[in-house]
Amino acid sequence: MLLPGFDYLDPKNLEEALDLLAVHKEDAKVLAGGTDLLVRMKKGLLAPKVLISLKSLNELSYIKEEAGCIKIGARTPLADIIASGTVQDNARALSQACEKIGAITMQHYRGTIGGNILQDNRCHHYNQSDFHRSGHQACHKNGGKICYARENADRCNSTCQSDGSTALMALGAKLVLLSKGHERTVDLDKFYTADGIMPHDMESHELLKDIIIPINGARSAYRRLAYRSAIDYPIVCAGVLVRPSDSQKDRIDEARIVVGAMGRAPLFLAQASSSLKGKKLDDTDAFRKAADASMDSAATFAVHNVGSTLEYRCSMISPLVLQGLKEAASEK
Amino acid sequence: MEKIEITLNINDNPYEVMIYPNDTLLDVLRDKLDLTGSKESCGEGVCGSCTVHMDGKPVRACLTLAMEAQGAKIKTVEGLANVDELSNLQQSFIDHGAVQCGFCTPGMLMSADALLRENPNPDEKAIRKALAGNICRCTGYAKIVQAVAHAAQPQDDCCDCKSKE
Repeated sequence: MLLPGFDYLDPKNLEEALDLLAVHKEDAKVLAGGTDLLVRMKKGLLAPKVLISLKSLNELSYIKEEAGCIKIGARTPLADIIASGTVQDNARALSQACEKIGAITMQHYRGTIGGNILQDNRCHHYNQSDFHRSGHQACHKNGGKICYARENADRCNSTCQSDGSTALMALGAKLVLLSKGHERTVDLDKFYTADGIMPHDMESHELLKDIIIPINGARSAYRRLAYRSAIDYPIVCAGVLVRPSDSQKDRIDEARIVVGAMGRAPLFLAQASSSLKGKKLDDTDAFRKAADASMDSAATFAVHNVGSTLEYRCSMISPLVLQGLKEAASEK
Repeated sequence: MEKIEITLNINDNPYEVMIYPNDTLLDVLRDKLDLTGSKESCGEGVCGSCTVHMDGKPVRACLTLAMEAQGAKIKTVEGLANVDELSNLQQSFIDHGAVQCGFCTPGMLMSADALLRENPNPDEKAIRKALAGNICRCTGYAKIVQAVAHAAQPQDDCCDCKSKE
């Protein structure tokens, strides 16, 4: 498969990269590992005039502990995150999620955490070859006015299938976005637009710099369901976090349940999460109720557009959340 | 789009080549340098038949721009054997019947070679995990896993090995 033509730019430092983004704006795309971007370009879903490579920007590849947080550079390869002791100890959900992305030979050395977060939403009516799409009227995401996934939908219902984002949202992560002369920090919870066409609240001249995960004694886990254990995207996944209370070590002070691959963004289920506050860490009944409540809430967002049947995907939410909660709560 | 001259270090040989920015490493290997061992199958990073090493790590040549491969040490399946002697891994693939149509074999060899460099004595689970990104439609994988295990640690009682004959 051939790639469409583009100009390749290789900035030597961050400043130069931001200058180039400010000049080219929506004509440019940022190239990190390329395992998502180049596939979309090959399928004709995207034809940027300019690719700005992060190849020389080693300053965006790091994992460090700083001020009670883990900071991960956006261009850090997934293999480095999986191998990181501090991520395993303090953000196990992320470690588990990165391990599930793609396959070792495919993404772990080229694929980056920034690229995983910023991957475009997917839909099995949209992520197809030019030839396949030419047989239909264009859908919302392709510039038309139809949604094949949900009848009479007035907007795009593509699904966010990022493993990394689901885990990071459960971990309460923040993103640092840079543009020329400006830096802003945004909660991952608030980074999504609820629009399947442009799912991320990010300007074309902005660059993801790093991801900040708080270290606060919380325990986390990530579970996913996919057709195959490697290569595939999740068709439903869950990231959970439980933080024991400082005063009573066997009680939950804060819980976060996030269900992914079921909507335009990972879904933070506030009600199900708050139902666990004050519960004991071994209260399996409370976990089960929270898992069922997660299923009821998340199922309302899902459409049939990433494979398998919708019923199966919905009914698997509860077991995945329950498994995650049990594992997180029993983590030492 | 203008052609650009780049230098690639492939199998310890420098190659100067004129490319377009949208040429993938696989396009350059196969079409410009006649290193046709690496295969293109899916072209979108799923099947693994284009796997090559960049600085010792297995990557998909079909999803790596040739521009991005500058400065890296690239190894293709052509670089596995010595001049007239196959590597242990290649010989083991032959001895165990791990090759049928052969299309996936270069990718399998490169993924397995990277595994054995990192972990010289992998168990079956580690082998299967390392090869999870490579698809084979002929062998059913069992012979491939046996071949890699045998290359790592030759067993005298290896059931299928033809090297004893």
